[in-house]
Amino acid sequence: MRVLKSLDWVLLASICSLAVLGMVTLYAAVHQGNPDLWQKQGIFWGAGFLVFGALCFVPLRLLGLVCWPMYGMALLLLLLVPLIGDVHMGARRWLDLGVMNLQPSEIMKWALMFMLANWFATREARGWVEILAPVLLTVLPAALIIMQPDLGTTLVLLFAATALIIAAGLPWRLLGIAVVAGLASLPLLWHFMHDYQKQRVLTLLDPQSDPLGAGYHVIQSTIAIGSGGLLGKGFLHGTQARLHFLPEQHTDFIFSVLAEEGGFIAVALLLSFYALLIFRILWIGHRAHSRFGSLLCIGIAAMFILYITVNIGMVSGIFPVVGLPLPFISYGGSALVTMLGATGLVMRVAIESRGQIPWQRPGSPLA
Amino acid sequence: MRNKQLEQRSRFDLRMLFFYAVVPLFMGLLVLQVLKLQWFEHEHYVLQAEQNRLNIVPTLPVRGEITDVLGRGLAINRIAYHVQLIPERVVNMDETLHALATMLQWSDGKLAHVQRRIEHTRPDRPVLLDDKLQWEQVSPLAARLHHLPGVDVESGRYREYPYGGLASHMVGYLSLARKDDLDAGYFPSEFVGRTGAEKAFEQVLHGRPGYQQEEVDAVGRRVAVLKRSPSKMGQTLQLALDIDVQKAASQALGDRTGAVVVMDVHSGGIIALLSQPGYDTNRFITGLESDQWQAWLNDPEKPLLNRAMQAAYPPASTFKLVTGLAGLEQGARLAGGSTICPGYVELADRKLRCWKHTGHGTISLHRALVESCDVYFYQLGDQLGMAAISDAAQAWGFGEKTGIALSPESRGSVPSQSPYMMSAVKNSASKRKKWFRGETMITAIGQGTLTATPLQVARLAAAIANGGQVLRPQLLANAQAEVMHRVDVSEEHLNIIRKGMRSVVSDPHGTAHRALADAPWQMAGKTGTAQVIKMAQDKKNIISQDQLDKEHRDHAWFMGYAPYVNPKIAIAVFVEHGGHGGSAAAPVAAAVIRAMASKYDVVDATVKP
Repeated sequence: MRVLKSLDWVLLASICSLAVLGMVTLYAAVHQGNPDLWQKQGIFWGAGFLVFGALCFVPLRLLGLVCWPMYGMALLLLLLVPLIGDVHMGARRWLDLGVMNLQPSEIMKWALMFMLANWFATREARGWVEILAPVLLTVLPAALIIMQPDLGTTLVLLFAATALIIAAGLPWRLLGIAVVAGLASLPLLWHFMHDYQKQRVLTLLDPQSDPLGAGYHVIQSTIAIGSGGLLGKGFLHGTQARLHFLPEQHTDFIFSVLAEEGGFIAVALLLSFYALLIFRILWIGHRAHSRFGSLLCIGIAAMFILYITVNIGMVSGIFPVVGLPLPFISYGGSALVTMLGATGLVMRVAIESRGQIPWQRPGSPLA
Repeated sequence: MRNKQLEQRSRFDLRMLFFYAVVPLFMGLLVLQVLKLQWFEHEHYVLQAEQNRLNIVPTLPVRGEITDVLGRGLAINRIAYHVQLIPERVVNMDETLHALATMLQWSDGKLAHVQRRIEHTRPDRPVLLDDKLQWEQVSPLAARLHHLPGVDVESGRYREYPYGGLASHMVGYLSLARKDDLDAGYFPSEFVGRTGAEKAFEQVLHGRPGYQQEEVDAVGRRVAVLKRSPSKMGQTLQLALDIDVQKAASQALGDRTGAVVVMDVHSGGIIALLSQPGYDTNRFITGLESDQWQAWLNDPEKPLLNRAMQAAYPPASTFKLVTGLAGLEQGARLAGGSTICPGYVELADRKLRCWKHTGHGTISLHRALVESCDVYFYQLGDQLGMAAISDAAQAWGFGEKTGIALSPESRGSVPSQSPYMMSAVKNSASKRKKWFRGETMITAIGQGTLTATPLQVARLAAAIANGGQVLRPQLLANAQAEVMHRVDVSEEHLNIIRKGMRSVVSDPHGTAHRALADAPWQMAGKTGTAQVIKMAQDKKNIISQDQLDKEHRDHAWFMGYAPYVNPKIAIAVFVEHGGHGGSAAAPVAAAVIRAMASKYDVVDATVKP
């Protein structure tokens, strides 16, 4: 009862808005060809809300306790992947557990977020040890994941970790040095990239160079978005979507269906729902009762912003094709459940902070 | 401690401000990019989406048919069926192909060929497996199509020539559009007339293609037809040709090589235009095998050559009509009188012989025509001179194209003394040759460098019959007569010549008497026997005696018109190495007259009394 009373309705409303918009868009994407996927996604939403609800009851302290064994297990599984993992579409990312395929990098994403939030819950990123330890904790799994190869998850890991370390008080000077060093190491990164990843970058620079190959996805999705215009072609009237010119139109490229049929109006609606969600998460983090909760919210907000930016940026031709779904809109059960789980954790932070003073404000518990 | 905590908190608050500020940057980047696409480049992408979606597909017109004068099909469209398969829609390729092989009775080789082709083509595009099938062949397959996903039976049209070999030079054939046709606006799967009437009337036969605007999906499959503008079928053409007459001429020629032209003397309509041997134009429809084409090219009988108009031969004694008319018109002394034929004419050190070595004795123009006396015309030609002879030849349509719609056409050659006309003479040796009297005299009897096509000779016969109108030969039935030029000749002089021509047939001494005296229509004509001058000395070693004999033999001519009163048709018959005109060519004309007489009343409305 206390949980229900302390629910953050704004957060819940943003999720529900995205649920409606997501289901409507998905219907347009799959009504011809795979209408069952729409019903399946409805079931995934149900499952996701169950997870969301369950996480509302999990005390944050518990996460601080499980983060060490969780991180260790995830690292072990990541090491196992190159040895016994399954190969799908040229990447070795999955472990076959008999009942289900497990992607250890997904577990690692959460384990790392809990680890870093826990690490910085009691210290600031102002000393060598305080900074180097979490950097190591991040770089180790990131290296394993990029070798699978899985650029998307690696980006999420690095981005969320960076946001956490910045929130934890990393001196700007060090951040500047890190950014410069990162840019300087880009040629090195290029050297280690797989051919298909290089191809994607090259295609982004000039999509017409390979219009039927790697460039096809981006060309078709930009045509869909551009031809949608400000008002869109109307629900179920997008020619690019209806005639299957859009690749992966119900998963990674679903944004182009929305933009084609709903036009800029739908895009603006979607982005304002996202803005509402992300600002609310940041606000909950800002006002959190515990420093752990604050940092967790910031990591999750960073994760959302990265998913959204990379996905829409890819579909509209700003970034190379990186396989990240559009949160709450793309078809896919595990991604949706993960996103709702993350929101559930934020909701738990909100619940625990309800009626409490933010940490280290005068009168707060740590003060 | 307290201060440190406060410092930590305020640092965190600042960092939060940083995050609040950074999020709109990310969002703004996305908004800008989407606005760029949806607002500033919107029109560009609308166009691209339309190009993606819309496919303009031509609907090919049905080609007009060609019939003879009685409406019998010479070039017709037949429905045939073809079987195609879209590999990606096939459930079990091996099973499907074996089922097809059984039903369509493919050989193992054909099956293997089909399998190879399917492996090497895009799986989303139809592969043509078998075509030109009749309904009986595809009906068992059509009934079971629902068991064979991906397999499709479609109907299409192909051209058939029911009288392929008989009317090959007249009707012609089609072949698939080539590079230059595509540049001219044809579509790759269209057929274009290459020879004969198919080529001559390509514009009207072809029709106008229509268009269909289709909506297609990403793999090019048609989803819907949005707009349609129907194609317009080509015009069906009725030729003046009568296939029965053509057939009669062909049968009369038998296995001899030669040409027959039958022409309406008033309209110029071509009732028959035969060049023997012909070739089966049906062989061209599916794309001619190159060895068949080579065989026709290398055939010594030259089936591809249209002897009626693409080859010119010495007109021989048929030309005496022109010489005679020139003599009458010029008022040459001999034309009104007579001479003595001793069987030869002596000219310096040469002797020009008459065909009748014993001579014709005293002979006038009339008798000289009837018995085809050479000496009379040697002397008449001598009196006229080369210029008058060649002028007359040109006036009667020699040395120029007849203007028939078929192509290519030979203009033949008319020798001339003037340096201006000399350049028209192809033989470069003869170009510089001085024109001696002997040449003039030989020209007067239609030998030497004078050559004419059978079509030109038929036109001469028509012009004599119709009062001097040199007509353009017309292929289409009911075509308006087109007079190319009118010869300035008096009716009186024409009648003298006509009477002579009549006597060639009616007089017991006439050269065509035996063949044509009993013809159902009264005929007026003139025979010709062209000496084959080329003596194939160098060929003696490589060709058999039999063939050598044939090559030595003279070309036989007959030309004339019928009926004598109220003329209707003009005929020219040319038999290559046929021997004598009277015995070899005239009987062919008799066969033509019989065919004509069996179906046309002489007192026809088209025939002026």
